Amino acid sequence: MKSITWISGIIGAGLLVGYSLRLAATPAAPVAAPASTVSADNGQYKVGDHLQQSPDLVTTPYKPSIDSNAGYKEIAWESLIPKDWDAMKPFKGLKLDKLQDDDPRAEEALWKAKQYWKNAPIDPSMDGAAIRIPGFVVSLEREGDALKEFLLVPYFGACIHVPPPPANQIIHVHSAKAVKNIRTMDAVWINGVLKVDRSNTLMGDAGYSMASVKVEPYLDKSNQ
Amino acid sequence: MSFLFPLAAKSAWNRRYTLGLMLLAIALSSAMLLGIERVRHEVRDGFTQSVSGTDLVVGARTSPVQLMLYAIFRIGGATNNMGWDSALKLSKNPAVAWTIPLSLGDSHRGFPVLATNLDYFRHFHYGDGQALQLAEGRAFADVFETVIGAEVAQRLHYRVGDHIVLSHGMGSMHLTDHADKPFVITGILARTGTPVDRTVHIGLDAMEAIHLDWEGGAPMPGLTIKAEQVKKFNLTPKTVTAVLVGLKNRAAVFGVQRDIGDDTSEPLMAVLPGVALDELWQVVGVGENALLVVSGMVVIVGLAGLVSAILASLGERRRELAVLRSVGARPFDIFLLLALEGLAVMLAGVILGLILLTLALLVLGPFLSAQFGVTLHPALPATGELTLLLWTILAGFAASLLPGLRAYRLSLADGLTPRL
Amino acid sequence: MSNAAIALRDISFTWPGQHTKTLALERFDVQEREQVFVSGPSGSGKSTLLALIGGINSAQSGSVAILGQSLGAMAGASRDRFRVDHIGFIFQQFNLIPYLSILDNVLLPCRFSAYRRERALTQGNDLLAAAHSLLRSLDLAPTLWTRAVTQLSIGQQQRVAAARALIGRPEIVVADEPTSALDSDRQQGFLDLIQHECEQTGTSLVFVSHDQRLAQRFDRRIALNEINRCAHAEENT
Repeated sequence: MKSITWISGIIGAGLLVGYSLRLAATPAAPVAAPASTVSADNGQYKVGDHLQQSPDLVTTPYKPSIDSNAGYKEIAWESLIPKDWDAMKPFKGLKLDKLQDDDPRAEEALWKAKQYWKNAPIDPSMDGAAIRIPGFVVSLEREGDALKEFLLVPYFGACIHVPPPPANQIIHVHSAKAVKNIRTMDAVWINGVLKVDRSNTLMGDAGYSMASVKVEPYLDKSNQ
Repeated sequence: MSFLFPLAAKSAWNRRYTLGLMLLAIALSSAMLLGIERVRHEVRDGFTQSVSGTDLVVGARTSPVQLMLYAIFRIGGATNNMGWDSALKLSKNPAVAWTIPLSLGDSHRGFPVLATNLDYFRHFHYGDGQALQLAEGRAFADVFETVIGAEVAQRLHYRVGDHIVLSHGMGSMHLTDHADKPFVITGILARTGTPVDRTVHIGLDAMEAIHLDWEGGAPMPGLTIKAEQVKKFNLTPKTVTAVLVGLKNRAAVFGVQRDIGDDTSEPLMAVLPGVALDELWQVVGVGENALLVVSGMVVIVGLAGLVSAILASLGERRRELAVLRSVGARPFDIFLLLALEGLAVMLAGVILGLILLTLALLVLGPFLSAQFGVTLHPALPATGELTLLLWTILAGFAASLLPGLRAYRLSLADGLTPRL
Repeated sequence: MSNAAIALRDISFTWPGQHTKTLALERFDVQEREQVFVSGPSGSGKSTLLALIGGINSAQSGSVAILGQSLGAMAGASRDRFRVDHIGFIFQQFNLIPYLSILDNVLLPCRFSAYRRERALTQGNDLLAAAHSLLRSLDLAPTLWTRAVTQLSIGQQQRVAAARALIGRPEIVVADEPTSALDSDRQQGFLDLIQHECEQTGTSLVFVSHDQRLAQRFDRRIALNEINRCAHAEENT
């Protein structure tokens, strides 16, 4: 009887050390696959998945949510698109059903549309908005093992087999404090003040950036 | 009660030959555990420090991780080259702020040779956005001039003005020298703590020049072009290994990456360094965790050995414990005595392990720095290591409770007159 | 009638987990300054008696009073303290802690008891001097004092044990078969030393032994197997 106590004590101590080794060694962030050029279909998210946000944002994606987290209002990614921007504008005036098959004009219009989507403008009225938004991380710069600068994109797998997001759906984030245990394609919430960057180039390179005050892992409630 | 500490210490010292082996086991295993964590940390730090401010690494369409490893860290196998035309096209891309073309392939006494242009010294940043500085001398201006990294200068005792000869190929096999075209060192870079330190930098034209009379990786017999004559030939490179790209707008990286990938004139790929490194760590991380778990197990085994050594000795110590009871020791004091013994040996083992680790780092540090450009600092343990240390000590503490409890119960049962 | 140093009344004791009683006696007294010879072959309840006197165990019924204080009223830790304060023990063999020096062994009770430490300082200028003086009176030459415990003969070890029992002048010394491991020609000599020291300091002595030759030297002799109603003789020990 006594020997069982001792043996289980030693095993218990062993399990304690082993388990805590795992905790110390592996990231505490939820299971999300990092960017991989071979297969994007692992972990919780599939390529193209968006993150679930507050219910009231589903109905009115252009308005900030009534919930706020420490003064930062949650917004949907749609809010970053100018309200008057029409995605179908390149096809206006083109009657697709009237064209013949293989008409070069259709191909040209499609190419123009893709450029149009790529160069979608930012919404200047979002400058200075204190927002909270979830997204997927694309690592840029690290400080040791901690992430300092990254891009936030709306959907999973945004560097692989899906079209990259347009400029108004990317936030260039500088984290005030470098964040540990975040890898590419991890899902996070960011809180911060949005800034609109303008640069004078022919491409009209403008975009959103943010010096975020808080970066925390996104926990999928359905999996909790 | 504090009298029990010296008593426990003397008791442990009395059985130092048995316990000494266990102490050594614990020392080695905790050194290994902490060492793995330390190396892992430093290697990651070293890698992430190696490139900063670079938005894309462009090269032939192979494996992103391999391209990163070869182009930035100068380790691993050579990748396919990309065409010079594509490199030029990239530098003219309106979204691009700067480019740095890189060409690898040669070495000098084990150190890789990097052929590039002056944009390297202008635009290459590392660490926390730090630029390269010249500690001595100037960048290369003429064909056969070279700038060497701090580690190369230190290890081979080079000064500005020395002449060196490059070898064709990398690795430790017997390599053919470009003996007819020596280089003069015009500059030495300040230490960066990155692979730059162990690199010999030459111009892209120089790379072309030394291979003028070569074909397919070997000198053509009978054909010699003297060093003075190289400028008569076109020294524009035909291919490069990779191009580092800095964009005007970082957030535009996806579009540029996509454009490069879609370009039909040459099969190229553009890699985001941060993303490629994350992928590398995901792969390596599995092995690292396995190593850590194994080391943890070894620590447990060491502790188990210690505990069983102390437990085994309890049988012959029952008289001793009865004597202690007779002079006023409470059963709890007996428990403490045995637990302290285990704890003392375990702590001594862990401290010895730390010392061993520091010594090992001092000895191996220069070797690793020369091979991989990663500096290991025999400094105080970092947070991750302290956590591991804490858990090890806690485990040892928990383990030493076992002989304490056993002694406690024995003492209660035996009283003053143990039945041996 | 002086106060009893040890007074047991109506004791009934069973070891935990056993079915049969090991000790049942009406009365066991030792007076102050008295030297008593207790004979008890195996099975007579000797270990039980010592455990009760030492406060290691408590009797299920009856009372144990040491120097007028009832042990039953004390909590466990207090009993341990009381034991070292007032009683010195000498065992048959393996008395000494092998990894401590001889002097450390002698001074052990002073580490656990402030009372003994205080009283030891009356035996010499400091603790070491007190230990030295005791060792000398027990016939141990100074050259032996620096030796390791394992280098002493049994007789020398027993005398060091006696010094440990006597340091700080406890009121009672309990010696459990202290001469049984000694050569027969040494046994008398050891007894002489012990008795002399106890007389000097006025210490009560409880001397447990099966050797009847030594019994002659005592004023009072108690046969444990006579007063213990549960005693049973064993054929072979």
